[in-house]
Amino acid sequence: MNRWQRSVVEIQTRKRQVNECERAQVALSKVTACFQQMSTSLGSNVDGSFLREEMEETRTVAHKICSGLHRRLLSLLMEIDQGQEDKEQVERLWVIFLSSLENFQQDLKKVKVLQEIFPLTQRKDRQALVITGLAGGTSEVAARAAMVQTPWLSVEVTVSPDLKTHIEEIDVLLEEMLQRVNVPLWSVEPTQEAWVEGSSTPGVGQEEDESLEEMMEVEVVSQNKTSGCCHHHNCKVGCLLCLLS
Amino acid sequence: MTIRSDRDHGQHYRPRMTCLKKLEAMVVQMQDPSTGVKGSDQKLNVTTIPHVMTDQDIIAWIAKHMSMENNEAQAFGTMLVAYGYIYPLQDHKKLVLKSDGSLYRFQTPYFWPVQKWAAEDIDYAIYLAKRNIRKKGALDAHEQEEYDKLHKWMNHKWDFIVMQAKEQYHAGKARPKADRVVFDCQERAYWIVHRPPPQTHSAMDYGLDRHIDPNTEEKKTFDYYRRINIYTQQAIMRSRVKSSVSLGAMLKYITNFNNHDPFLVPCLPSNPWLTDNDAYWELNTDDIEVPTKMRVERWSFSFYELLNDPRGRADFKVFLKKEFSGENLAFWEAAEELKFGSAATMSEKAEQVFKTFLAPGAPRWINIDGRTMGLTVKGLEHPHRYVLEAAQTHIFMLMKKDTFYRYLKSPVYKDIQKKAISPAPHNFTEAQLEQNMRNRRPSISPIITYQKEQEEKAKAAAAAGPVDIKKLMASKLDRK
Repeated sequence: MNRWQRSVVEIQTRKRQVNECERAQVALSKVTACFQQMSTSLGSNVDGSFLREEMEETRTVAHKICSGLHRRLLSLLMEIDQGQEDKEQVERLWVIFLSSLENFQQDLKKVKVLQEIFPLTQRKDRQALVITGLAGGTSEVAARAAMVQTPWLSVEVTVSPDLKTHIEEIDVLLEEMLQRVNVPLWSVEPTQEAWVEGSSTPGVGQEEDESLEEMMEVEVVSQNKTSGCCHHHNCKVGCLLCLLS
Repeated sequence: MTIRSDRDHGQHYRPRMTCLKKLEAMVVQMQDPSTGVKGSDQKLNVTTIPHVMTDQDIIAWIAKHMSMENNEAQAFGTMLVAYGYIYPLQDHKKLVLKSDGSLYRFQTPYFWPVQKWAAEDIDYAIYLAKRNIRKKGALDAHEQEEYDKLHKWMNHKWDFIVMQAKEQYHAGKARPKADRVVFDCQERAYWIVHRPPPQTHSAMDYGLDRHIDPNTEEKKTFDYYRRINIYTQQAIMRSRVKSSVSLGAMLKYITNFNNHDPFLVPCLPSNPWLTDNDAYWELNTDDIEVPTKMRVERWSFSFYELLNDPRGRADFKVFLKKEFSGENLAFWEAAEELKFGSAATMSEKAEQVFKTFLAPGAPRWINIDGRTMGLTVKGLEHPHRYVLEAAQTHIFMLMKKDTFYRYLKSPVYKDIQKKAISPAPHNFTEAQLEQNMRNRRPSISPIITYQKEQEEKAKAAAAAGPVDIKKLMASKLDRK
C-alpha cells in the first residue's frame, strides 16, 4: 500500500510500536546485564539461596520482556513493505534482539551448569563455595533489575518457565525466528560509533573509575628489565614455556 | 546472531579436556576454609585487599596434599594459574606461579574454563568496549587491534555490543566498591587466559575442533561391534617382535644418527634457523657437485638413506653405469614415478615400463623371480598405481643386499668421501647475528627449481634414449 494512502493514525501507531520495541530492547539489555553480574557470584562465598531467588526473579522479568518483544517485532516485520522508512530501524532492532537472546541463552546455560556443580541443598555444600574475596551481596544489582518495567501498557499473562525449559524455549524461538523472517543479518548498519567513550558523567564518577584502576594494580614486587620469561638474552617469549634453557 | 549452517563439516566440538574436571575438584578442596590454603586480607596503604594467598602457601599446600617436591608443586601451580583457576594480583599478564611472595586469588566459578563452550568473541568485544567506556585509552596495543578487527566483522551486531557494554558497566557500578575491584580483577584475569597477549602461550590451545562430541557415549550398535571385532582380529594377526630385538634396532638407529640430529649436535656450519645464515642449505642442495662429509656418511647408514637423498642417488647411478647394471635403479625410479605421478599418464607409463623392463627380450630386462614377474605382467593388463609394488620391493631388496655393499667398497664412493668438504662452524657475534637477520632474502622459487629439474630430466632422457642410427650415419657421411 502506498505510503501516501496510509492514514495518519496508522503511521502514528506504527511509530509508537517501534518506539515501544526500542525501549523494550533497552530494558532487556539492562536486565540481562544485571543477570550476568549476579551470575558471576554463583559458586563463590556470597552465593546463597537469596542470590538464587533474586536471579530467578530477574530471569522471569527477562522472559516477560523477551516474549512480548518477540511477538511485537514479529508482527512489525510481517507488515513491512518495500521502501518503508522504518524498515532499517526495525531490521536493526531485529538483529539486536537476536544477538541479545543468544547472549542471554549462553548465560543461562552457564548458570544451569553452575547450579548443578554447586547445589545448596545441604549444609556441607556451603564449604564447597569458592572464596573469591567478594564481601557484599548483589542486592543493589537485583534492585536495579527489578526497577526495569515492561514498556507496554497492556498486562499480558505469561507463564514463566524454569531454567531448563527456558533454555530450550529460547532455542526454539531462535530457530523459528531465523526461518520465518528473511532479514539479511549482515546488511544492518550500526548507529553507534566504534570507539565509544564513557558518557559525560559528573566528576565524581570519573574519579571513582580512575582510582579503581589504581586499586587493581597492586604494586609489582620485582621490576626486572628483561621482558622475557627467563634470563636468557635471546628469549623473546613472555612466558615460562619457552625452549631456551 | 551466529549463522548456523550445516555445511561446515560438523566440527563444532572441542576436544576432551579431562584435566578441567579434576582441577575443579582440586580447587574446591584448596579453597576449603578449614583444610585448604590459608588466605588472609592484606593491607596495602589505605585499602585492604580481600582474601589473597601467597604463592609459597599454595606451593606448600600442593606439595603436602599430593606428596610431591616443591618444584613439581610449583609447576603444577603454574598450570592452575595458566588455566585460570587462580589468578595473580601483581603482574597479571604473566600466568605463572612464582615463589617470591606474590599474591594470588581464586577465580569465581563463572569464569572457570569449560570444555563445552569457548570464550565467545562477542563477549570479548563487550568486555573491551566496557573497558574503553570506563577509561578511555585503557586498552593495550594488541587489544586495540583486536577491537578494530571485531568492529569490522561484527559490524551488524555493534549496536548490541555497545548497549550491552554500557548496561554491564552501569550494573557493575551498582555494587559496593571493594566488590567492583574484585570483579574487575576476575574479569581481566579471565580474558588474559582466553585471549592471551601476543608472544605468550595459552594453556587453552588445543588445535582443531573435532567432528564428534567427545562427551557423548557411542551407541553400541551392530556396526560398532563389527568394527571392534575387525580391529581385534587384525591386532591378533600382526607379527610380533621381541622387545629386546626392537629396542636393539632403535638403539642402533639412535647411535648412528646421533651426530646428524641438529637438536643434539649443532649442524655445520651453523643452523640457519638460529643464525639466519643459510650456508647450510646452500651446501646441501640436491644438485651440488661436492657434498658435505656428514651427508656422505649418512649414505652409508642404509640403502634407504642413499636412495632418498637425490645427490646420493646420482652418485649411485654413476657407480651403476660403470658396472653396466643401471636397469635395476631405472626400474625402481620408474615404479616410483608410477606410484606418485599423475593419473592421466598412468597407462602410458605402464606400457613404457612393460616394454622397457619386463617384456621378454626387452632392452633393459630386470631379473626378478618368475612368480613376481607373472603377477606383475598380469596386473599390467589393468594398470593402477601400485601394480609394480611387488616387483619394486624385490628389486629394492636385490640392490640393497648386493649392489649397495659393493658400492660402499667401490672407488666411486671412496672418491666422493675424499672429496667431501667439512665446513667450519660459524661463530657469529651479536652484531653479526643482527646483520644476518637484516640480510635475509628469499631463496630460489620452487617453480624455477622444478623447471630446472624437468630440463635435466629431458636432457637425460634424450641422452639415454636409443641412438638414432640414421642420424649417426648421416653425421659420419657428412664428414666424408
